[in-house]
Amino acid sequence: MALTALLGLGSLTACGSSSGTSATATSVTTTATASSTTTAATASKPFKVCMGTGSATFNWAIGQGQLLQSIAKKEGWSSVVLNNNASATTTLSNVSTFILDKCNAVIEFSNVTSVNPILAQKLAAAHIPTITYDIAQAGWYFVGIDNLKAGIEGGKALGAAIKQKWNCNIDQLLAAENYKVGLVNTERTDGMITGVLDVCPNLKNSVTKFVGNGDISSSLPAARSVMAAHPTWTKMAAVGINDDSVVGTLEAAQQLGRGQDIIGWGQGGDLITGANVNPDLIGSVFYFLEGYPEWTLPLLKDIAAGKPPAMGDSTTNPTVLIPPCLTTKAQASSIPDFGTRLQKMMTVNPGTTENSLYCPAG
Amino acid sequence: MGRHSSANESNLGVLEPTNPSLTTPPFTVKRKRVTLLSMPEHFQTALVLLAVWAVLVGATSLDKGYFLSGQTVIAVGFTMALVGVVAVAEALYGMSGARLDLAIPAELIFSAYVVTVLLAHRWNIFLVVVAALVAGGTWGLITGCIIVFGKVTPIIVTLATNLMGVAILEIAIKSEATMPVKSGLAQWGQGISGGLPNVFWVMAALVATSGFLLPRTRLGQHVIAVGGNPVAAKLRGVSLARTRFGVFIVSGVVVGLGGLLLAASVHSFVPADGSTYLLPGIAASLVAGVSLKGGTGNLWILFLSIGFLSTVPVSMSFFGLSDIWQQVPPGAILIVAVAIEGIRSRRAVR
Repeated sequence: MALTALLGLGSLTACGSSSGTSATATSVTTTATASSTTTAATASKPFKVCMGTGSATFNWAIGQGQLLQSIAKKEGWSSVVLNNNASATTTLSNVSTFILDKCNAVIEFSNVTSVNPILAQKLAAAHIPTITYDIAQAGWYFVGIDNLKAGIEGGKALGAAIKQKWNCNIDQLLAAENYKVGLVNTERTDGMITGVLDVCPNLKNSVTKFVGNGDISSSLPAARSVMAAHPTWTKMAAVGINDDSVVGTLEAAQQLGRGQDIIGWGQGGDLITGANVNPDLIGSVFYFLEGYPEWTLPLLKDIAAGKPPAMGDSTTNPTVLIPPCLTTKAQASSIPDFGTRLQKMMTVNPGTTENSLYCPAG
Repeated sequence: MGRHSSANESNLGVLEPTNPSLTTPPFTVKRKRVTLLSMPEHFQTALVLLAVWAVLVGATSLDKGYFLSGQTVIAVGFTMALVGVVAVAEALYGMSGARLDLAIPAELIFSAYVVTVLLAHRWNIFLVVVAALVAGGTWGLITGCIIVFGKVTPIIVTLATNLMGVAILEIAIKSEATMPVKSGLAQWGQGISGGLPNVFWVMAALVATSGFLLPRTRLGQHVIAVGGNPVAAKLRGVSLARTRFGVFIVSGVVVGLGGLLLAASVHSFVPADGSTYLLPGIAASLVAGVSLKGGTGNLWILFLSIGFLSTVPVSMSFFGLSDIWQQVPPGAILIVAVAIEGIRSRRAVR
């Protein structure tokens, strides 16, 4: 008992030091809890999983870290979660901490892609298997959403709505792009255009792209200017990289008094739950980003058992491909908000994903 | 228009001396008669802005006959509303000699967040409006305390409070603050009156009122005096600390109003969204002739600079230019405005 406590204290000190080191350069989201560390010490072979989350700006990024720690606790592993803060230097510093802390596996959400090859080199040199969420990197297990499928399916659903409402006869399909995120934008936003054109091929020459930057504060004025420049467009449809950019487009139409004949389909499901949904947002594609650690569990178990699976490190050869969840506004009304979903995920049995809990298609 | 807009001596000339001993030589301040010649720079600025704005509208209309439509006016009006409020706050800072308020992004989101939270708790709309203004004023008061008591450079303080503020708001808001779409404020914020957005009229009233009051109130005159020449103002019995506190609080209340308009006119927002309005607001203030060194500027001219800068992106959309290109003209205009201000400052020194 005393030995267990001593080992636990030692392990906790190690975690504390690594967290302390990074605290100067990063914001520490959470660190290993005493209980999880103690549990790890009693296990036959201690296993420590470490994660660099995207940014404290997004609740789902914080949620990923919290859910990972919850899973680690259930499995008897210790865990360290640091915030990459969407910064190359912070991410590098965090990876150095993980190596010093002798993590057995690392999960990265590193959206500053330029730094990822350097991180991969450092982690490979330290022989630490690494999992990446959504952003592919050679030598890292890819776990993520099928963005192209998410885009095309969302586009097809919007196309079906355009066909039903206007028999495909609309004046313009507006696409709020976010070129900063590269391939993800191409797959999602352009994927949505492809999906719409699949149902309504007559719209091929009626697509207008503008920079929405993935937020309402950019997409709203940009869409407003575009619509003001085309006063003859009355029937419109909107797609974008996420719900925000689509809602910004819908709001622009509403502000210009043209909200009666526009519909949009978003991505991510951020703005389609709860009581304040834009009336013209008719659907979205959920990814349940906060639930990614649950999809990662089988992979982590294999690594912990010393039997890492074959490498799948690209979107075309993924280790785990998370299916997008197509949801209409009516269906989304029964999906709880982020906080409720995260709490639920903390209590479910291992292997239960949010898709199985909330996605209408299962 | 220009009582407060000429050189520093004339700014001080409108002050009522509070210390009787200062009315005797050598401290006697001669009152200058305000003539057309004493305010040429601001008069010129207004004329140039009006001309440039008219050329922009005229040139776009010539090529795109439908440019001058109600849709364009509404689009420009919505853009003007928020940029205008931020520009007024920046102008007050600039005139007082505090140079720039870099904390406006956090301050704006803070007030807007207060609005969404209180509306979600079904507060009376009047109380929500008051709360937004109080939130902004409180922020200004805190900033003022740090600057005045800590004797720290305003630009550094506002930079630091913005960084801290955005971080704290990110923690508080988590991801996005969402406006209750069925609330009266949200409905009003999307509404149109007299062919222009409701939020536009609030901004216009703010510019008109503040432009009228600034040269005609004791605080306004003190702001210009302290900004123009703090040493002289102090000698004339003007309390620098009290005046600066006044500026920071009033500016905070103005930004609080901006937060209210932001919440009313967008569905949801994140802390980073506040920065969208900072540079256009600074640009509008500088283009209107507000000196970064303090003491000069006319809030009524702001209306022209806000209008011109808000028309540029809409006009560019008519030519099919992407948003990326739309950042170029305001940047170029800002450089020109700062260069002109530098030339004016050098002339004033001579």
